[in-house]
Amino acid sequence: MPVADEIQSSWADEVEIDQGALPPPSEVVENGLKIVTEYKYDNDNKKVKIVRTYKIEKRVVSKSIAKRKTWSKFGDSASDKPGPNPATTMVSEDVFMQFITSKEESTRPDDGELDGLKPQASSVIFKCRTCQGEHWTLSCPFKNTQLAQAKASEAAKTADAKGGASSTNKYVAPFMRDGGAGRGMGREPPGARRDDIAAIRISNLSNFAIEADLEDLVKGFGPLQKLYLAKEKSTGQCKGFAYVHFKFKPDAAKAIQTLNGYGYDHLILNVEWSKPPQN
Amino acid sequence: MKPLMLQGHERAITQIKYNREGDLLFSVAKDSKPNVWWSLNGERLGTFNGHGGVVWCLDVDWQTINLITGGGDSSCRLWDLETGKNIATIKSNSSVRTVNFSFSAYQAAYTTDKAMGHPCEVFIVDTRTVDESISGQAPILKWEITDSKVTSMVWGNLDETIITGHEAGDIIQWDLRTGKKIHSIKEHTHQINDMQLSRDGTMFITASKDQTAKLFDTSSLELLKEYKTERPVNSAALSPILDHVVLGGGQDAMDVTTTSTRQGKFDARFFHLVFEEEFGRVKGHFGPINSLAFHPDGKSYASGGEDGYVRVQSFDQSYFDYTFDYNRE
Repeated sequence: MPVADEIQSSWADEVEIDQGALPPPSEVVENGLKIVTEYKYDNDNKKVKIVRTYKIEKRVVSKSIAKRKTWSKFGDSASDKPGPNPATTMVSEDVFMQFITSKEESTRPDDGELDGLKPQASSVIFKCRTCQGEHWTLSCPFKNTQLAQAKASEAAKTADAKGGASSTNKYVAPFMRDGGAGRGMGREPPGARRDDIAAIRISNLSNFAIEADLEDLVKGFGPLQKLYLAKEKSTGQCKGFAYVHFKFKPDAAKAIQTLNGYGYDHLILNVEWSKPPQN
Repeated sequence: MKPLMLQGHERAITQIKYNREGDLLFSVAKDSKPNVWWSLNGERLGTFNGHGGVVWCLDVDWQTINLITGGGDSSCRLWDLETGKNIATIKSNSSVRTVNFSFSAYQAAYTTDKAMGHPCEVFIVDTRTVDESISGQAPILKWEITDSKVTSMVWGNLDETIITGHEAGDIIQWDLRTGKKIHSIKEHTHQINDMQLSRDGTMFITASKDQTAKLFDTSSLELLKEYKTERPVNSAALSPILDHVVLGGGQDAMDVTTTSTRQGKFDARFFHLVFEEEFGRVKGHFGPINSLAFHPDGKSYASGGEDGYVRVQSFDQSYFDYTFDYNRE
């Protein structure tokens, strides 16, 4: 029997060969979207697939702008392909404008954060063990007097009752010190945002809801600060939920009371306080 | 909106500008290559290669035909925008700090630094025919600035005056027929980093190291408004459609580790033009903002920072919906 002329390479070899070559980049244009797929190695020498989706838009502009659009690239960009070059043009994270409604923010002294770290008011860190005075126990004037001993223990008790933290030299985190507590309403846990207070979450919205609908729905309750309707990235359709930030908390409470269970576009809305992110 | 991050420079941005129609965005930095971008999608159209050092300033004419840049290599360069070619170079004695086309683009003004034994000087040159002959031409007018040097400059109305902002905080209006002072005021106590005209050219806003930005009348130099912050202001721009002002700045790099731990020094801050009150902030840069510009349609703005990035930020609907509470208290 003839043996196959070509010796089939073993699968292990194939894998090895495959290591070197990357699949060729591809570019697909379909229904207004350009999808560019690229492969490359990352820092750990692992293959990475990069998919970029561009939306193609047509705009009507003046003649002079249209003419400039036909200019070819020059300088260091001369070899770039049409369309943004990912090396020089990036889309960064969403950034929203923070509206400042109260003036306290701007009037707060600049170095507030550092104040908490400064030494506390009573800079004396040693204390007499018998009378709690600001001197060494050894040099206590009440030393050896029985009467004073009793008085001293009493004093110690009251000092303890007042709050052990200030009388002991235990480490206290900066934000828990007096300097820290004095500022506003104390520290919020990290990640909590102050404007969450008057924020509500509306869910079970129709897929066809748009921002204008939502605004009509809630603006009767009071002035809004922010309105966010979650949308599918590619289709622009509503994902079914939205967050509304009111300027005032009572308005938000009123909105929850009224809208929860409200029939809107043949769906029953579910409205609740917006919870802070879990992580 | 997701901002576009334009990474075409290796070093800190020194100035950014839109052209009149707003389709192109220009940026210059402390590296030697000015960049031009499509403002809509952030695509880079090209770079202008030729400068030999830091580029401090740029201006584009109203028809978007020529670009003029001035830099630390003691030269002013004129570029053809369609091809990116350097069509003329004007040599000077010291580095060029500011340069601007007049509205008609028949003339350009540039100022040089006081350095290397040369005084700070203002030059007005003819730019009607732009070719190599321009470098041999004598300036139409030049005069010397004897006190503090010029750090920013704009053209006044009808190309009849220019207004210069100085290192010591003075603002001087010059008559271009004679090269003499018309008005001189000192409303700032420190260096004026930037001056920008309003859309109609009747007002201009200054940004100063003394932590304020101020609004002036272009013809009388009357002080109209003042916007206070708690850090040096590097740039300020006026919205072309709304009564808004955007300020950008931040501490000097040398102060960053010694002052506050609080973040938010590097954000762009929006003030109401009339009430002088801050109403919004936009974060983004990792260093001080060095230059700001509103898109001529007022629907987006761009900022260039010490971190070397240019960020183009479109406004959300919430920005246009925002109304000032007139009745509070």
